[in-house]
Amino acid sequence: MGEHIVSAFDHDLEKIEARISEMGGLAEELLAGALTSIETRDTSLAEQVTARDKKLDQMEMEIEEFATKVIALRAPMAQDLRLVIAALKICTTLERIGDLSKNIAKRAASISKLGPLPTTPSIIRMGRATQAQLSEVLSAYSGHDTKAAVAVWRKDVDIDEMYNAMFREVVTYMMEDNRMIGAGSQLLFIAKNLERIGDHTTHIAEMAYYIQEGAPLGDDRPKGEPVSPAID
Amino acid sequence: MAHAEMTDLEATQPAPDTVQTKIQARDVRVFYGPTEAIKGVDVDILDKTVTAFIGPSGCGKSTFLRCLNRMNDTIESARVTGEILLDGGDIYDRRVDPVQLRARVGMVFQKPNPFPKSIYDNVAYGPRIHGLVANRAELDSVVEQSLRRAALWTEVKDRLDEPGTGLSGGQQQRLCIARAVATAPEVLLMDEPCSALDPIATAQVEELIDELKQSFSVVIVTHSMQQAARVSQKTAFFHLGHIVEYDDTPKIFTNPVDQRTQDYITGRFG
Repeated sequence: MGEHIVSAFDHDLEKIEARISEMGGLAEELLAGALTSIETRDTSLAEQVTARDKKLDQMEMEIEEFATKVIALRAPMAQDLRLVIAALKICTTLERIGDLSKNIAKRAASISKLGPLPTTPSIIRMGRATQAQLSEVLSAYSGHDTKAAVAVWRKDVDIDEMYNAMFREVVTYMMEDNRMIGAGSQLLFIAKNLERIGDHTTHIAEMAYYIQEGAPLGDDRPKGEPVSPAID
Repeated sequence: MAHAEMTDLEATQPAPDTVQTKIQARDVRVFYGPTEAIKGVDVDILDKTVTAFIGPSGCGKSTFLRCLNRMNDTIESARVTGEILLDGGDIYDRRVDPVQLRARVGMVFQKPNPFPKSIYDNVAYGPRIHGLVANRAELDSVVEQSLRRAALWTEVKDRLDEPGTGLSGGQQQRLCIARAVATAPEVLLMDEPCSALDPIATAQVEELIDELKQSFSVVIVTHSMQQAARVSQKTAFFHLGHIVEYDDTPKIFTNPVDQRTQDYITGRFG
């Protein structure tokens, strides 16, 4: 895309993209912090995640306000309009990712009192995969890389499958030892939160695609089978 | 279904019984002396639809608009080739009287240009010279109907004898629209009809355009992309004498195909 005749308009759009990337960076940081707090059973880190989430909420409001002003004052068209609309949707999605990370951190603080759990390595593995996916989709967004966005969109099925495996594993432990039910329930919620974050990354991928291509990515994204409550 | 209702804004929806082609242009070229201003334009203009022509200054959009009612005939050096069919009939056929044609294809210009006559006579002029009315009562009725369609009636009904030139700019433009619709045209051409109007008068004219498309095919040339987006259902982007892209208005303004269209509507260097 060439430059606008009115260069201030370019600066406005660049600012929106930069703020989204910044917000994405913070969301990533919150997720990483939440995962580390599970891994290290560090309750103070979990508290920091909760506190930092407020900053993310603040950034969401700032982007919304700024994007609204750009629409009102510059009347963006075509790809410019798509960029602004996508920013409004992505900032909400990132705020949700922040909320889910905060929720993971809170649950991490609660299970940290119970001592090491056998399922911790699996949940961390799933969490790191989710974090990598978030990082990739943010790079695809800032690099205007449609191919990379589609790749993230397609591979979220891996996170779904990890979630299903995690679900079975945790339920098995809970069935074997009913003292695990408390911690197991927390872990199931953590796994579900990670799975939701994975879904949110696909939404960001869809938006990154929409900005460049002007068309929706479609709704036939590969998805994992819904987890069955019956355990073999 | 709720979902179907969400597909388009009200203003961008075509009138229900449209889709019939009103004007068909094929390989239209316009020369001003040796200069080729329009370089082979093909376009189908639909009935009961507002079609917007957009494009940078000098792209040929006004020149092409003026071909549609043979206004270019009035320019000595202009020469038009190709074919323009109105309801299938060639408007450049020798047997077509341009004056009669202009009663079917009316025009509203950039600057309001009322005749130096009374408000009544401005509107009555067309029906009188074309012999469209039998008596004074009929003429009164046509004048009232035309002024009502132009959303001007309530403002002028008590001073029809006053000069048209005494009205405000927005009122003058609506008077010109009333004058254009008084001959019951089938097509209304508007060359930047709002560029001399304030936002309120502009909104009134736009509301009027929306109303007029129930009965006519409206073609509007505008430099305001926002206006094209607001009032039209079809948009043609002109560039250097060609139509680069012609499509549904929402498509042009959200996801144009051609890079030149994209650059123009987003205000980029092209």
